[in-house]
Amino acid sequence: MPDNYGFFIAAYVIAGVLIGGYVASLWWRSRR
Amino acid sequence: MTVPAPARAFRAPLFDWFFLLAVAAVGGTLVRILAFTPFEASQGAAQKIYYIHVPAALSAYLALGILAVASVMFLWLRDPRADRLAVSAAEVGLLFTTLVITTGPLWAKPIWGTWWSWDMRLNLTMFLWFLTAAYLVLRGAIDDEAMRARFSAVLGVLAALLIPFIHLSVYLFRTMHPEPIVLQPGRPRLPAEMLTTWSMGVLAFAFLCIALIRARYRLPDGRDA
Amino acid sequence: MLAAAWIIARKDLAVELRTRSAFLSVLVFTLLALATFFFAWDATSVASIDLAPGVLWVTFTFAGMLGLHRSFGSEAQDRAIDGLLIAPVEREAIYLGKAIANLVFVGAVLVVALPALAILYNLPLAQTVVGLAPVALLAAIGLVSVGTLFSSMAVNTRLAELLLPMLSLPFFVPIVMASSQISARLLAGRPMSEAMPWLKILIAFDLVFVVACTIAFPYTLEE
Repeated sequence: MPDNYGFFIAAYVIAGVLIGGYVASLWWRSRR
Repeated sequence: MTVPAPARAFRAPLFDWFFLLAVAAVGGTLVRILAFTPFEASQGAAQKIYYIHVPAALSAYLALGILAVASVMFLWLRDPRADRLAVSAAEVGLLFTTLVITTGPLWAKPIWGTWWSWDMRLNLTMFLWFLTAAYLVLRGAIDDEAMRARFSAVLGVLAALLIPFIHLSVYLFRTMHPEPIVLQPGRPRLPAEMLTTWSMGVLAFAFLCIALIRARYRLPDGRDA
Repeated sequence: MLAAAWIIARKDLAVELRTRSAFLSVLVFTLLALATFFFAWDATSVASIDLAPGVLWVTFTFAGMLGLHRSFGSEAQDRAIDGLLIAPVEREAIYLGKAIANLVFVGAVLVVALPALAILYNLPLAQTVVGLAPVALLAAIGLVSVGTLFSSMAVNTRLAELLLPMLSLPFFVPIVMASSQISARLLAGRPMSEAMPWLKILIAFDLVFVVACTIAFPYTLEE
């Protein structure tokens, strides 16, 4: 089995940051 | 004489039970991906990117489809709610297309040996991203609310007409994208465990997509974009 | 409606003929871009006949955008557009008139650009000009139909001319792809059947967007 955990982790971290970032932006805009 | 105090506009909470349910669905899928789904023998860990990449792509299509329909609805009915739905779908669509074009290369590099293959599906997603970004920039560049709604709806409709042309053009360039494995009638070649995980991913992301659009739609009115 | 459109087109062309400023600058830009592109490649390893189609259509797209901005940019000054709006003509006629004027403008640029390309890139002159002229016409119609509409939208935004490329370039992609593929096959002397799918895309694009943009245009004016 090829060792490519780095790519796997990177993809999930990026996905988490993007979705989390958007939710944070919604929350931020809602309290103005 | 008492003047009634201006009614405080009712503000529906952004993150309610619906949103939490979507988050729970995504979280549950994540646990299953990490702990209860076997590694694919030839592709290793990178194959698991597929469980978010494809659902994100389908969710992006869902959001951008809503954007196109809402744009048509706005030009037809002139209902500001359609405009608000359109911008909500556009923001969420941009989020998911960004997810698709960032997770895609991370899978392609170890498996295909190249980050960006100029494959037809890549190109289509890339142009969806450009169009959605242009849509949001256009909105940001117009101060007048009515004009912003009309202009962006026109762009939304024209972009929807453009997609078949981009699709056809990039199709005429040869493709090397893996053919959809799941949506083949008769014989799904994906092992049952992986298929379950994949299906959960699709449902969870579609759920999340709708929950995000709904939350964005509920943002108080005012200067958006 | 066509009569009204023709009057508006003639108005725009008359203004352009008097000043000639936009035409000359776009023309010089086109020639400059054709020449500059040549130096961006290794002429000893890439044959100029392989370069020429791509260079021509990318240059054409950017040059077209420069010209298209002028179409409604000139109307934005002193709100000259109001004069057109109170004129007793349909708004679709304003769009068609503007589009016809732009088509003539872009066509005039191509009349110079095609022979220039053939000369600079050492292509068979007659074959290039005659063979590419119909492709150029189809490409120009597609470019102008979308570009005229977006020009009308872009001048009303805070970003103005900065927004036009962002809006219109994604729409020009099928045009650039189809025109380049057809031109490459024509110049290489390949049978026409190879270019047919691309030709169909180009024609369908023109039909769809001329109609859609004519219908959509009034929405970009109101009030």
